[in-house]
Amino acid sequence: MSTPSVTDRMPRRTAGLAAGLFALVGIILVASLAAGAWPMLGAPRAAANLIGAVWDPLRGRYGVAPFVVGTAAVTLTALVIAVPIALGVAVSIVHQVGALGRGGILRVLTVLTAVPSVIFGWWGLQMVVPWVRAHVGGPGFSLLAAGIVLALMILPTLSLFFAQALSKVPNTLKEGSAALGATPDQTLLRVELPFAMPALVNGLVVGLARALGETMAVQMVVGGQTAIPAGLAAPGATLTTQIFTDMTAFPPGTAGHAVLDIMALLLLAAMYVLVRTAERWGSR
Amino acid sequence: MVRGRRLFGLSAVLAVLGMAGFVLVLGSLLKSGLPLLTWRFLTSSGNVGIGPEILNTVVLCSITMIVTVPLGLLVAVYQGEYLRRQSRRVRELDHLRATLMSAPTIVLALAVYRVAVGWWHWPVSLLTGALALSVINWPFMVTVCRAALSAVPDSYREASLALGASRFETVVRVVIPAALGTLIEGIGMALARLAGESAALIVTTGVNVSQHWSLWGPGETLAVHIWYIRTEGVVSGRDAEAAATGVTLMIGISVVLWLSNRVAQLFGRSEGGYDGT
Repeated sequence: MSTPSVTDRMPRRTAGLAAGLFALVGIILVASLAAGAWPMLGAPRAAANLIGAVWDPLRGRYGVAPFVVGTAAVTLTALVIAVPIALGVAVSIVHQVGALGRGGILRVLTVLTAVPSVIFGWWGLQMVVPWVRAHVGGPGFSLLAAGIVLALMILPTLSLFFAQALSKVPNTLKEGSAALGATPDQTLLRVELPFAMPALVNGLVVGLARALGETMAVQMVVGGQTAIPAGLAAPGATLTTQIFTDMTAFPPGTAGHAVLDIMALLLLAAMYVLVRTAERWGSR
Repeated sequence: MVRGRRLFGLSAVLAVLGMAGFVLVLGSLLKSGLPLLTWRFLTSSGNVGIGPEILNTVVLCSITMIVTVPLGLLVAVYQGEYLRRQSRRVRELDHLRATLMSAPTIVLALAVYRVAVGWWHWPVSLLTGALALSVINWPFMVTVCRAALSAVPDSYREASLALGASRFETVVRVVIPAALGTLIEGIGMALARLAGESAALIVTTGVNVSQHWSLWGPGETLAVHIWYIRTEGVVSGRDAEAAATGVTLMIGISVVLWLSNRVAQLFGRSEGGYDGT
């Protein structure tokens, strides 16, 4: 590999060029967002404005706190609902389904990860929003509704990762545990889950990233309110939905668009942190 | 139930609950959408059908795949076959790829919008949408190709190199053929993901269907159509129309996934399916 032969030079260069272009696209992405965000970030008084809780572009108030709170609330709700169910699915797949059925179930789960988010949004409008309105109160369009829709959406991804994590536990460990007199429950809790923990956390991070970045399914049911939400049953907005709704309202170059660029950079930074976290846990 | 298996029972209950959720989603979609699904609905345009939306979806996905499959494969080959494993450059490219792949598509679309519409003065059109989709799909394609190529055992490469083949010949004649099944299945996954994309396309290709179809004109896709008529539209019977469009989209996605799985098996991909992203 150190001295490429003559016939190998061209393909190597072509592939290297493609990789360089790939890196360049990444750099242009961040640079264009940073260029857009600069008028806001470069001015100390305008930047101080960003931390506030008031979003009122007409008066020049650009506090992003409502969207950060909205994103956190929606994502957390989704994870709280989806993680136990996904663990249940994974345990059932690994322990109660024969090897023959397992392939089929994994296949179905894979197809379900490809269900488009608008379809979940459609379902949210059809069933979840009316349900929240009737049983929890409020207008129905709410952080809770968005959380429920998202939970179902990330469920197949989480289940796949969790099932894969649990299926990697060596049989010798389970048999050893059983031979020492542990019940299946005890083996699951004290042997299998701890052994699979790094892979489980890795799956959790992937699910978290998917929930954090979802735009459409959330936008359709969250209500779009730009004040700090009063509770889970109140309407709100997230970072992604706000970028989506305001992107065409504020043309590039305006202060409002600069704030959207800042929110986008924030999301990108969050994704980078998640990627590094997943890498660290996954390699254990 | 055997003593000491309570957690297993609980798991089964939770799993059934999860399945019920999906039966609810797909069941209600089919129930509202199927009655409307006629040949006329699929082929005509305007208020009565989704013909143009189907065409736009196919065109956008095709352009994107034509651009990103070779580019994704090249980056993966460079990383996996030409660079030293675990080298710094490989790790940095991996971080970039993973970050871009998990980045919200609306964030990528925001950047593409600024560059293409703001700096280059492209109109909101199918081409701008194809550019956005290409940026969205490239990291995914690299991931798919990386996973497929790295699953080929090193002994294959060593044997080929020992017989005097160059790196390039090894990649083209040995590694890619051995990985072809997995590659095809990954391409199917990518297509399904693209067909369902909506947020990025609403802002880059728009929500209109132009009278005179052109790559420089706006072009609503199926996924965008569902969003548009369900949230912005004022037509009566919009639930059913959105659902029928959703059923069409789901049928398309299922067919793509099923076909890619079949073809993959022809090329020696074993049963079990695509394992994670």
